Formats: sequence, C-alpha cells, structure tokens
Amino acid sequence: MGQLPTTTSPESIPGTDLAAPGHQPAGDRPAAGGAELVLHRVRKQFADFAAVQATDLTVPAGEFFALLGPSGCGKTTTLRMVAGLETPTAGSIRIGGRDVTSLPSYKRPVNTVFQSYALFPHMTVKENVAFGLRRRRVRDWRGRTEEFLRLVELHHLADRRPAQLSGGQQQRVALARGLVNQPEILLLDEPLGALDMKLRRQMQSELKRIQAEVGLTFIHVTHDQEEAMSMADRMAVMNKGRIEQIGRPEDLYHLPRTAFVANFLGRSNLMAGTVTRGGGGTDPLLEVNASGHRLAVHRDRAVSTTGEVLVGIRPEKIHMRPAGARLDGATADGGVNRVAGTVTDVAFTGVSTEYRVEVPGLGELGVFAQNRGEDLMRPGDAVGLAWDAAHAFGLDGRQDAAAGDGAV
Amino acid sequence: MTSRVAGRSGRQAGFERAAALADGTAQARGRAGYGLVGPGLVYLLVFFVLPVFTLLATSLYVKPPGAEVGQFVPALEFGNYAVVLGGYWPELLRSFGFALLATVLCLVIGYPMAYLIAVRLRGRAFVQGLLLVLLIAPFFTSFVLRTQAWKQILADEGFLVQALKTLHLMPQGASLAATSVAVVAGLTYNFLPFMVLPIYANLQALDHRLLEAGRDLYGSDLTVFRTITLPISVPGVLAGTLLTFIPASGDFVNAAILGNNRNTTMIGQVIDSKFMRVLDYPGAAALSFILMVTILVLVTLYVRRFGTRDLV
Ligand SMILES: Nc1ncnc2c1ncn2[C@@H]1O[C@H](COP(=O)(O)OP(=O)(O)OP(=O)(O)O)[C@@H](O)[C@H]1O
Ligand SMILES: [Mg+2]
Repeated sequence: MGQLPTTTSPESIPGTDLAAPGHQPAGDRPAAGGAELVLHRVRKQFADFAAVQATDLTVPAGEFFALLGPSGCGKTTTLRMVAGLETPTAGSIRIGGRDVTSLPSYKRPVNTVFQSYALFPHMTVKENVAFGLRRRRVRDWRGRTEEFLRLVELHHLADRRPAQLSGGQQQRVALARGLVNQPEILLLDEPLGALDMKLRRQMQSELKRIQAEVGLTFIHVTHDQEEAMSMADRMAVMNKGRIEQIGRPEDLYHLPRTAFVANFLGRSNLMAGTVTRGGGGTDPLLEVNASGHRLAVHRDRAVSTTGEVLVGIRPEKIHMRPAGARLDGATADGGVNRVAGTVTDVAFTGVSTEYRVEVPGLGELGVFAQNRGEDLMRPGDAVGLAWDAAHAFGLDGRQDAAAGDGAV
Repeated sequence: MTSRVAGRSGRQAGFERAAALADGTAQARGRAGYGLVGPGLVYLLVFFVLPVFTLLATSLYVKPPGAEVGQFVPALEFGNYAVVLGGYWPELLRSFGFALLATVLCLVIGYPMAYLIAVRLRGRAFVQGLLLVLLIAPFFTSFVLRTQAWKQILADEGFLVQALKTLHLMPQGASLAATSVAVVAGLTYNFLPFMVLPIYANLQALDHRLLEAGRDLYGSDLTVFRTITLPISVPGVLAGTLLTFIPASGDFVNAAILGNNRNTTMIGQVIDSKFMRVLDYPGAAALSFILMVTILVLVTLYVRRFGTRDLV
C-alpha cells in the first residue's frame, strides 16, 4: 500500500496556508495517519427544520467509526459539515486539533465518498480517480491511480466514462477516488450500498485493511447494521438529528440505553412494568412487575431504577420449551423471568427459527432458537419462556416501546 | 471491448449508440419513428432542398445580349462565381471577421451572464427569472428599431462617446458612429441572447454535487470551474457560438444601419443590394451559395474540432 505523499509542494497541501499558529502544518506531519475529529455542539438548521441538533462527538485518530440511523436522521448532513460542504448553524469542528469550522472544503484534509457517487461524467474512470492527486500535484499520481483502480478491481475499465459503468462499478470508482488521497479523515456515505453481497464483503475487508494499515480515520455511514457492527471500532446510532448512543458495537447491542437503539439495532422485546423491589436500595437486582409477571434486571444494566421502566430482552437470549418441560440453562427461579405463552407464528430461516409467542399481559414476544436438531414448535403450541437476568436491560419507562421499530 | 472503447473517438461512440439503438427495440419503434419525422422531411424538402436547387440554378443564369435589367435565361455559367468572388471577396472576408469578433465578444460577455444566472443564483428562482427577462425583454422590440437605438447610443453627441472622451479613453476627434466598431458592437448586442440562452440551459442542468465533489477533492473554485464546469458546458458553448456566428455572418441590418459605405460593408448587404436594387439575380444567388457553403465548411471544421468529444 502506498504511503501518503511527502513530496507535495506546500501550497498544494490543503490547509497548510491557513494553519492556525501553534499547530504543525499538514506537510510536516508524519507521512501517514489519520486525525482526530471533534464536533462541539454542532447544529444544522435548514429554515425551520433542525437536520442535526446540537451534537458532541469525538472520534480519535485512526478509528473506524460507523454512523447508523434511519433515513433522514441527519447522517449525510453531519458528514457534509465535516467535509465543509455545509456550514454549521452553530458549534465548531476540529480536525487534528485545528479548528476547521470556517475552512473551505478544498483546504480540509478530508475526502468524501458520496452517497450519490458524484462522478465527473466528462472524465474517464482513471481521470476521476486521479482528480484529487493531481490537484495536490502528487508526483506519482499515475502509479497511485493505477494501484487503487486495481484495488477496487476496475483497472480494466480505466478508460471508460462513468455512464458506461454499472451502478456497483460506479460506486467502486467513487470509493477509489476518495481512498486514493488517503486523507486524514475519510467520510464514507453508504459506500457499499450498490454492491452485491460477495463484492460487499470483499470491499469491507479491503476498507478495513487500508484503514488499519495507514491508520486513517474513517467515518462510515451505513444502513447495514451487520456492516457497521462488524467493521467499526465504535459506532453511533442517530435518530432525528440526535445521537442516541455511542459505543463499541457489542456494547450498543448488549446494553442499549434507549428504546430506539434497542429496536433499531437488532430486535428487542420491551416489556413495560413498575419497579417493585430494590428500587431505592443497593440491591444488585431490581424486580419489576410487568402485568403480573415478575422480571429481574441487574441494577447496573438499568437506565432508571424506580417507577415505570421498560425491561428489554433480545429474542436470541430467551430459552423456550414446551409447557411443563424443565427449563434449564436459565437461572430463572422462583418464577422470576419465567413466562408462559402460546406460539402464534413460526419462521424457519435456516440457521435459526424465529417464533412469535403470545404472552398474556406482555403481548407478543420474539424468540430466536438455534436449529440444533430439536423439533420445531408449531403455532398453537403452549410454551414456557425463561431468560437470564444478566441478559436483560432496563430502560426509562416514559418512552415509546415501539420507537425505532421498523425504522429503516 | 475495453481497448476498443478506450481508444475510440466520439464519432465511434455515436455509431455505437446508433448501433445499440438499431437493434432490439428499434424494430418496434422504427415505423412509428419514420412516421413522426415524415412531416419534417416534407417541410425540409419543399422549403429547403428545392429552394437550394433553385438558388444553385439561378446562380448559373446568364443575361442574354440586349436583355432588360433583371432579365436572365437559364444556363450553366460557372464564370458567375469567379466574377462575384473576384469582386466581393473583401466583403466576404470582412463578414466572417466581424461575425467571429462578435461571436467571441458574445461568448466573453454571455458566458459569465449564463454562469451567474444558472449556477451562482441557483435556487433563487425569482432573481433568475428577473435576469432572464431583462436579457430577453429588449428583443420584444424590432431588430431594426433596436439597431437604430444603438446608432443613438454610439452617436458623437451620445453619452457613451462623451463619457469615453471625458475619461480620455477616446481621442477628442474620434467617433464611433459609422465604424467597424459600431457594426461589431451592434452584432454583439443583437446576437447576445443566442449565446446566453443555450449556455444557460446547459449550466442550469449542471449537477451541483459535481462541483461539491470537485471542491472536496482539493479543487479551488477556479480549478473546479476550469476542470468541471467549463468542460461540461462545452455543448452549450458550441450551440451558442453556432447560433451567433451563422446568422451574424449573413447579417446586413447592422452593417447597413451602423456602418458606412467604405469599409464596413458585409456580404449580406451586397447580396441584398444585388437582389433588391441592381436586380443581378445570378450574382446574388452565387454569393448566397458561396456564403452558405463557406459557413457549412467552417462549421463542420469547428464541430469536428470541438464537438466530437463524447459530450455529456
Ligand atoms: N438542503 C436542505 N434543505 C432542507 N432540508 C434538508 C437539506 N438537506 C437535508 N435536509 C433534510 O435534513 C434531514 C437529514 O438529511 P440527511 O441527508 O442528513 O439524511 P440521512 O441521514 O443522510 O438520510 P439517508 O439515510 O436517507 O441518506 C432530512 O430530513 C432532509 O430532508
Ligand atoms: Mg444520506
């Protein structure tokens, strides 16, 4: 993999001429590596509509950061402000410690892989990819272009125009056009959305490899949860212009802090109830009464510990047996975290089977069962459900339990 | 496939496209397509092809001995061409010179106007509309009247000449009236919208996100304009220059009203006077034909040079 150029002339390096005093000009930085991104109270208002509400976000240098959220939640707008294509209504943006809030786009050490590709129609694939390198007068622009076209497997189409490419090929040109510059921060706005599964997996690992190798900072917007969770060091879930939660993918998945995150990221069963025991004290276990069912949640896994709460449990964490059979594996005793219901729907998906189970008072719960050779349940079967309190999580009961459900 | 595409010229691209159109759906659409162009073909035949042949025939007529003024008989006198070329080549050259100057001036003045309205004022429909109306409004009055007005503007006692003289940008004794400058200025003014509108239409369709991508990839505003906006607007410029140059080369109103009888005469004036006053029909026809063929050749060369790139 190529190194960042060290031989560019000073004026051709974005940002050097406006470097704030006390900061190293970009040209003197180590040849490779990403920069830290800090958003401080950044807000974007379009007329009477707040696309991004006051947002604080810090992405350390060299991190692979994923931004996930439903359509229209402000992901692209956030990226555009970082790229300098949109001016924040309020707040400041720092890259590598330097305030770039008022720096024009072409002087920022940032490149974008656009959601709409935005390929230059009058240029060939090669010319498109070389564009940024040539603007910075990188000496070996031909070699670098060639190298990155190979990387996205498009070197054989280097002389075509974008209009003569398929959607997936265009997307890879857009990817190469951004990547080839190895900017301190690369913004990727759904860069793999048009690719088929195989190419997508391949590009994911290439992206990850390049990012790790050069130590670039990646901000990756995607609709694909699996992609976000498998690639990102940390991720943020956005909703209606706000970041709902930030953290490592497994933390966000195992311990969502809002109903939106619980429902948007994977699936959750959220059960409304009232804390009946352990609320005010120091008892590590809270007991919740949900329509007569006794549910237990660890205190340190609960957002609120008194009054109305939502108890959440992921469908794959629920054990299910025919009614009356012994439920082992779960530490459910004394009737806690143990409910009875009736199977209403069975969906066989190969690796696992997804059940819907009607539980009086709690509504329908989703249950995912690994297919280890047991007989499938059938609609109408009476079943018993149980789960480990360590897997449950507690949320503030004042939110809509269906928030983020079915959001795209 | 790749290597073929790699090296091909725009014309080949055109053939490929034509070929692509020709197979598959083309058969179903073919008959309807011919039906649709039918009326146009008939129109062209009756009002263009036939008159051109008449023109060609007339240009070869001769005046029989002792005939009255305006009386000619059919013949094949190719000498007519030598005669008019020998007599009027300076006017012919001057026409193309003036037309070229006016076209360049129109481009220099018109491109920024089109750019301002279409790109800079994007999203501000009211201002855009207002500027377009301002551009076109003068053209609701007659061509001749507008040109007469220019005569007033360029007159010795007019504010423009007075101002230029006050600023010492023009010698005291000099004058703009009845000069080549006045003719070119008139041509430029009268054909400006024909330059601005095609470029405007082209730039209006320019995808703003391409400019953002250019800026994101380290292109300053100037670089983005040079490497993205300008190349993409070439078809508009091409159309604008043709729409300006072609009618300007054959124009006679500007030269007649704003020029003099010595050194501003354009070929259109000569044809006009030969046809309307001297009644030398073969001469007028021969000059018309020469003008037409020359324009055709020039335009073909021009479009070959600038128009064959696979444009968007
Ligand atoms: N220029 C603009 N003027 C007014 N509203 C805008 C503008 N740009 C974006 N918006 C609005 O801001 C909101 C956020 O848009 P944004 O493009 O950031 O969404 P997104 O999260 O990227 O969505 P998607 O996943 O569909 O790409 C949307 O509701 C959109 O309609
Ligand atoms: Mg978006």
